[in-house]
Amino acid sequence: MPSLKDDLYGRIGALGILVVVTLGILLSRLWYLQVLDGESYAALAEENRLREVSVESPRGLVLDRDGAVLVGNRPALAVTVPPKTATDPVLVRRLSAALGVSESQIIARLKDKRPDPLKPRRIAEDVDRAAVTTVLERQHLFPGAEVQPLAVRKYPYGRLASHVLGYVGELSDNDKKDADFARYDYGDIVGKTGIEREYEAVLQGTKGTVLIEVDAAGRPLKVVRRSEPAPGRTLMLTIDRRVQEETERQLKGAIRAARRGKYKRARAGAAVVMDVGTGAILAMASYPDYDPGAFLGGIPTPVWKRLNDPKSEYPLFNRAVTGAYPPGSTFKPVTVGAGLATGVIGLNTHQVCNGKWVRMGKQWPKWCWKRSGHGTVGFTEAMAQSCDVYFYEIGLAFYRRDGEEVREEFQSYARKFGFGRPTGVDLAGEVSGRIPDRRWKAEFNKSSPEYAPWLPGDTVNLSIGQGDVLSTPLQVVRMYAAIANGGVLFKPRLVDRILAPSGELQHVSKPERTGRLPVSPAQLGAMQESLVAVTAWGTAKEAFEGFEFTVAGKTGTSQVMGKDDYAFFAGYAPVQEPKYAAIIVIEQGGHGGSAAAPAVRNIFARMLGGTPTDARPEDESR
Amino acid sequence: MTAADRTTPPPAPLSRRVSLGLAAAAAALCAYSVLMMYTATHGRQALAVNFPKQIAWVAVGFVLAAAVSAFDYARLANYFPQLYGLNLALLAGLFVFGSDAKGAQRWYDIGPLSLQPSELAKLLVILTVGSYIVHRQCDVDDLGEVAKSFALILPPMALIMLQPDLGTALVLVATWLGMLFAAGLRWQYVLLVVVVLLAVGLLAWQLHILKDYQINRLIVFVNPDVDPSGAGYNLKQSKIAIGSGGVWGKGLLSGTQTNLNFLPERHTDFIFAVLGEELGFVGAGVLLVLYGWLMLSGLRVGSAARDSFGGLVAAGIVTMWLFQVAVNVGMTTGIMPVTGIPLPFISYGGSSMWTHLIATGLLLSIWWHRRPRGVQDVREARPWREGI
Repeated sequence: MPSLKDDLYGRIGALGILVVVTLGILLSRLWYLQVLDGESYAALAEENRLREVSVESPRGLVLDRDGAVLVGNRPALAVTVPPKTATDPVLVRRLSAALGVSESQIIARLKDKRPDPLKPRRIAEDVDRAAVTTVLERQHLFPGAEVQPLAVRKYPYGRLASHVLGYVGELSDNDKKDADFARYDYGDIVGKTGIEREYEAVLQGTKGTVLIEVDAAGRPLKVVRRSEPAPGRTLMLTIDRRVQEETERQLKGAIRAARRGKYKRARAGAAVVMDVGTGAILAMASYPDYDPGAFLGGIPTPVWKRLNDPKSEYPLFNRAVTGAYPPGSTFKPVTVGAGLATGVIGLNTHQVCNGKWVRMGKQWPKWCWKRSGHGTVGFTEAMAQSCDVYFYEIGLAFYRRDGEEVREEFQSYARKFGFGRPTGVDLAGEVSGRIPDRRWKAEFNKSSPEYAPWLPGDTVNLSIGQGDVLSTPLQVVRMYAAIANGGVLFKPRLVDRILAPSGELQHVSKPERTGRLPVSPAQLGAMQESLVAVTAWGTAKEAFEGFEFTVAGKTGTSQVMGKDDYAFFAGYAPVQEPKYAAIIVIEQGGHGGSAAAPAVRNIFARMLGGTPTDARPEDESR
Repeated sequence: MTAADRTTPPPAPLSRRVSLGLAAAAAALCAYSVLMMYTATHGRQALAVNFPKQIAWVAVGFVLAAAVSAFDYARLANYFPQLYGLNLALLAGLFVFGSDAKGAQRWYDIGPLSLQPSELAKLLVILTVGSYIVHRQCDVDDLGEVAKSFALILPPMALIMLQPDLGTALVLVATWLGMLFAAGLRWQYVLLVVVVLLAVGLLAWQLHILKDYQINRLIVFVNPDVDPSGAGYNLKQSKIAIGSGGVWGKGLLSGTQTNLNFLPERHTDFIFAVLGEELGFVGAGVLLVLYGWLMLSGLRVGSAARDSFGGLVAAGIVTMWLFQVAVNVGMTTGIMPVTGIPLPFISYGGSSMWTHLIATGLLLSIWWHRRPRGVQDVREARPWREGI
């Protein structure tokens, strides 16, 4: 009974094979892991051990044309805590009490899923020093709380030019969709509107990064690499803070004055002052305005609601570039310009104004603003008195010229005067306005085909800047600047130069011509003269009574369905050697001659050294 | 009657008496262990003491191995009841005198020493199973006999599982199977045993005999990303460590996974990950070659044994090493579930080191007392006393 087999040797040999095979398997596994896949595991190991922490860079400064700081930075302190703090209600309550931030806001920031889950969260920015001291001295009460230095925006002039400057805020989900922000992180402070947004790439510095080696518990051990943050570059604007101040004061004053008079609904408006020789914008105002400083550290919800409430007239809205208004009679230079250029009228063309105009048929009467009529008017009188009948005739003539073959000459002239397309100003959010034409009308009334055909009245309305035409105050003032400078349409500019953080000049923006008014020098001269007549003996006579400088301009009173009339005045001065063009629009402010023109005079008075006026003339013109 | 009376010991020089290859492989592994202990504990206050201690374990282990190698292993076969009783007593005594650590009772604390009887149990089981098979003329063609031999290891296994220490219990099963295989267990029975063991494992799962952490380890083995910060963490970090070592490794003391504490249990069960990270494929390959050398030397000793007992003991020892190496390296590289089995000779621990050095000593003894050259028949020598 051999219980132990003779083949013990054989079996031991088999075990030997098993040993070799098993070790071979392990070795090939190692080959796969270390040699074939080694690099990807090496990357994972690096990922394990290294953390990149970014160091904020201060945004660039914004200066006015003389170098006065409009937007600066000041150091502030932020308090951060780890995200897990959210699970400790007692601690949250304590932080809320110490920092003056609501518990719900702290929780919201801690529970925000978007940022890196490992990073500490900022729960309060711009914390006052007493609160910071409390948190730092009582670490045992505020475990994990850390104080982080920050540079926050500072506005030495408060609300001045708030619409031009814009405001900053934390990158939002919406921003993140924008290609400009593709490389940004949540929590980054970015420009939201105005110059801050338009020049985000210039103002935003380059964040510094610190590459830190951490252990498995996340404790930082040493700095592996460090790159210093580079501050953003400085913008020097074309804005002159004194002109801006005066413009804002006049705009606000004009709105108040209109409200004190008959126009109780006057609550908003816009104004622009432009250098006629370069397109540089010296002042741009919109009312109501807002305090950009209120956005620091996240704007409180009630303030945000108020800023976006229709009853507040949208203070965040920059009416100078995003407000599209029927330009009313300020549009009339386009009509005469087109008329002269095409020969529809000559400088000697006269019309008889009886107040009522029935040239489109008795069933379609139209009225001049002066129901009693202007009598026989020539080119200059028509402009000076803003006689609508004269322009109706031009409009009707253009309609007839269009004929079967659709030429839409008038519209194409209007575009050559800079309407119906953005001016290209370096400011986010500019709108195109609208020059209505057949194609637009058909498209607009697609669902009600009975309104789709273009009618004579459409061209006639356009001739006085009414009906469907829309323009921004900036487009209008640019045309007046072009009339002043001999016909050149400049691209409006807000940024004059870009400086390195060191102050070294990096870029100077040059005046850019985007077009020419399509009229001959003689025709332009006649147009200029007629605009001088407006302030000398026409609709703006009273506003410019006794002014030392000759001003050329045009009043406008545009009708908006369901609202009081919008008051316009646009013009330039001094006529002998034109320097500045300006426009003021008062929404529901009444008549251009009474509500808007005096404010423009006062702006010119301040800039040129003339006498301002307190007059708010009664004026029934358009 | 002395050993010298039974067989004529070869009056040969030391080189003939000692399997130099085996001794060199074991010594090289010990040296490797000391090196790895140096790098794994470097700069870590809590672990620093383990480096000199490991040196001490190795030194004492060499003495033990030398002593055992000079002793005629065959006499051990005669002490079956004593060895078996000692084993059970040591394991059972843990529940009374053992010290608690990490929720398991595995150690006797004797002064500065912490002895882990489950390590020694592996050797005692090898000796008792070998003795049982040879002495009782266990017929491995008879499934009943096979079952009886398994019943022999059940009590120590049960005691070890109660500690709980599933890994060591599995080593016992593997070792038992290896010895029965060497004793001639039919291939189909080998297959049957494997199937039965797997079925028992599944049943244990179904009946929730396995502890939660053991089930987690299995789940994580299948899908390490289930819980990357919890149970899957060790496995993931270990794979990263080994993989990132590349061909040449990051160099001693330069493993980032090791030094920044991403690696858990780095001086014990996961020491292979430290080695893989710092010494790369080359270092790991050298280790596996050393193991191969050791095990093949062990098998050569077994085939030169003067009796079946020696052959079986050698087979058992080699199976134990092979199983532990395969499971430990497999675990750290992610091809085996996480099981707390130390890497022989390399992982920190006196009990483990001594067990493997004593095992080496046993093999050296078998070699020393091998049958004279030219004697082919194993059965001629009956080294054990009749009837225990």
